[in-house]
Amino acid sequence: MENVKAYIESGILELYVLSDTSATEKAQVEEMAAKYPEIRAEITEIEKSMELYAEEHAVEPSENLRTKVLNSLIVNLGDDNTFSKTVTRQDDDNIRTIPAARLTSFYKYAFAACLTLLLISVYGLVNLYSKLQESNTQLAALQTDNTKIANQVSLRDNELQVYRDTAFKVLKLKGTAKTPSAAMVLAWNSISKKVMVDVPSLKLPQHDEQHQYQLWALVNGKPVDMGVFDLPKADTAGVKEMKAIASAQGFAVTLEPNGGSINPTMDQMVVIGTF
Amino acid sequence: MSPKRKISLSEEDLVLALRNREKIAVEALYDMYSASLFGVISRIITDEAIAEDVLQETFVKIWHSFSGYSAEKGRLFTWMVNIARNLAIDKVRSKDFKNQSKNHELENNVTFIDEQRNTVYKPELLGIRELVSTLKPEQKSILDLVYFKGYTHVEAAEELGIPLGTIKTRLRMAIIQLRKHFNE
Repeated sequence: MENVKAYIESGILELYVLSDTSATEKAQVEEMAAKYPEIRAEITEIEKSMELYAEEHAVEPSENLRTKVLNSLIVNLGDDNTFSKTVTRQDDDNIRTIPAARLTSFYKYAFAACLTLLLISVYGLVNLYSKLQESNTQLAALQTDNTKIANQVSLRDNELQVYRDTAFKVLKLKGTAKTPSAAMVLAWNSISKKVMVDVPSLKLPQHDEQHQYQLWALVNGKPVDMGVFDLPKADTAGVKEMKAIASAQGFAVTLEPNGGSINPTMDQMVVIGTF
Repeated sequence: MSPKRKISLSEEDLVLALRNREKIAVEALYDMYSASLFGVISRIITDEAIAEDVLQETFVKIWHSFSGYSAEKGRLFTWMVNIARNLAIDKVRSKDFKNQSKNHELENNVTFIDEQRNTVYKPELLGIRELVSTLKPEQKSILDLVYFKGYTHVEAAEELGIPLGTIKTRLRMAIIQLRKHFNE
């Protein structure tokens, strides 16, 4: 107990209250205070007298500072979201307006954010829709292309069939004296009796609207009607199937009025060829 | 804001209310301690507007760092007056303050406070109730340097040209004197 008294009289407690101690001294004083109630009580006494001393020297700050300080702390209170639930005291008007203003601006910003989102969505939707339209158009175009290609492939297949099938006989018809540059290729199947004209190979003079070419088969020296055909307007692939015939020694083509004739007009013969 | 509605709570109630972040605690805190704290700040900063800024900063800091206060280590005011004193001294040291005071040539806070002391000690400037008879002048000057100005007792000894042991004794005697005075 004697050293407690000496400790109190050393003056360290005064320095402690005046916060004029090193960190080590501070920790030591706190340890002593926790251990000895007399020291704790002495510290409290010193604190109280310093507090009263400060009160003696108190200076009132200007009145409007109270509002300013309270507002700045109460805004923090709003931030902390820890407003007291028991509002028994009347609040100052200007204290209340602050959270209200904060609320309004919150809705303002929220509304602005919603509007922006809506605009972005609408813009996105329009964009997406036009892209969809574009894709649909492309898809349709691709489908058309696809059909065309499929047709062409089957046509080529048919063509190839003609050359592969040994039953087909390929005959090149050559131009007559009247049209020496004319030429065409046809194929005749002696088993299925089919006759095919190879359209790309047609090299015949252009004819007018009133006339068509007519194919004739030469059977035992007599011409037999094999049907009419037009010169293709543009480059076309494929073969054109004509009437069937069981046997023929040769073929010839004449220019006839639309729909063909019963007998060939001999002076209008453009190509002829025999096996 | 009229002063007639000043709120006062017991220290325990106030500490509890501050811990619960109650609005009433903020008002009570201000009403109970603003003048005492402002008295301390005004001793360090004579410019009233700047001193009031520091007082506001003090309350903000008290509010924000209240979890750092522990009643076992001492009374609330002791803790708060340290915050106020440190903020005021920081302010005096800040470049900002030196520019405002147009005291660019001042190099440190001690010399600045020295210069200021002459003005601050004028009673008419302080406008406070002085404890004229209680403290001997040599006790008061030491106590005020340490308590109001944040001097260490070592700095006070140098400042006043008095041995360190004497300073400590006088400080203790001054506070004993105060205790007697307030207990009367």
